[in-house]
Amino acid sequence: MTVVTGFLGSGKTTLLGKVLSEPSMANTAVLVNEFGEVGLDHHLLRRVDERTVLLGSGCVCCTTREDLVGALLELLGLDERGEIPRLDRVVIETTGLADPAPILYTIFTDPVLQHHFSVDLVLTTVDAVNGGLHLDRNPESLKQAAAADKIIVTKTDIAEPDSVRNLLSRLGKINPSAPILEAAFGDVDVDEIFRPGEPGAHAVTGSVLSEPDHLHDVGDTYSVSVTFDGAIDWTAFGIWFSMLLHARGEDVLRVKGLLDVGEAGPVVINGVQHIIHPPGHLDGWPDEDRRSRIVFITKRISPEEILGSLEAFRELLGARPVPLGTEHSVSLP
Amino acid sequence: MCVLCGQDFVAQVHWTDRHIEDRARASGPGDPVEYQRDRRRDRGHRTALTNEVLRHYGLRVEDWGGSKYVLRDGKGRTELVQHLGALWPAAAKLAGTTLDPLDTDFIEALSAAHKDHGR
Repeated sequence: MTVVTGFLGSGKTTLLGKVLSEPSMANTAVLVNEFGEVGLDHHLLRRVDERTVLLGSGCVCCTTREDLVGALLELLGLDERGEIPRLDRVVIETTGLADPAPILYTIFTDPVLQHHFSVDLVLTTVDAVNGGLHLDRNPESLKQAAAADKIIVTKTDIAEPDSVRNLLSRLGKINPSAPILEAAFGDVDVDEIFRPGEPGAHAVTGSVLSEPDHLHDVGDTYSVSVTFDGAIDWTAFGIWFSMLLHARGEDVLRVKGLLDVGEAGPVVINGVQHIIHPPGHLDGWPDEDRRSRIVFITKRISPEEILGSLEAFRELLGARPVPLGTEHSVSLP
Repeated sequence: MCVLCGQDFVAQVHWTDRHIEDRARASGPGDPVEYQRDRRRDRGHRTALTNEVLRHYGLRVEDWGGSKYVLRDGKGRTELVQHLGALWPAAAKLAGTTLDPLDTDFIEALSAAHKDHGR
């Protein structure tokens, strides 16, 4: 299952139209929030109204999208009864103002859906012309950029080269874990988009762009990449991280990485706010580098706080945290 | 929850509990005794590590029959929780404060405790 999110008018539907015309995407069902002006011609198109049910705990990201549950169960029924061609993939297009976390929460926690669907990719489209403005003004935009596994910058053909460059650099700072693809006229390499990257291969680049330039200001959002000087205790990490999510979950926009837990392969950790993908234990490392690498994208939590807390937990974790590269936000005068 | 055995019917597997389940599934229908032993050992380890954190708030956690955890405070109040995700809110209720790993007082206390331990 792929979640496509993106700011208003950033070209989600254009992108989907292009993607769905590929023969390899024939057995894909699409759930959209609204039928846009760009008509999508697809036999498995369903419209869902955003209906969210706020659970007792009251935090916004842990809400269930009842509309999605209904639509996905219906698709599942059709597939199982053989009334539609075999279903390979479901693409969910969100509205421009949607926070992607509830969609993930819905799929991971629904008693039926969690056994039939998994989310392999969150795509976020950002338009090169207005993207910067959206990031400045809409907290949702920031959440969408942070939640992305891949970011697609659209309309690069009609934007100023300078503003494209600034936007790319800024997105790289907000979410260093997501590869950024450019798409002019919705023209993208479908294979490249849907090819699931090597798990965590892009998790941390180590040398993140570091021009001390106020143009790259990302407000009170920080990202920090951390490694450890040895294998860590997975149970201890679980204790630290679940405690952090309990206390500051809404400020932890994104966590992604590979952790060396002293086994043959690493543990893949991927989380959006309170919502943690079921961590996968891999049989082997994707490349030569066998160090843990994990990136935290946070709001109002500085890299020093994360590192200081991990340092205090080092006895329990069994290894000491080492920053790979920190990004500081610069306040505008 | 079943009123007879106290077990939840559809237990949501918390992400911190996944690896034991995954390992059991990956190795196929293995030895159930070994699986239980693995699981117990994991729960014991988690309980011990969690207590290192909880004692700074005057709380303790124990494994409860291998299915849940019992959280206790110094006054004898208890809370029954399923997993770590539910533990922290229950601990906050008993401690009267949010347990925050970024809290500087807590970080100081934890670091000092480990220093003493190291000597």
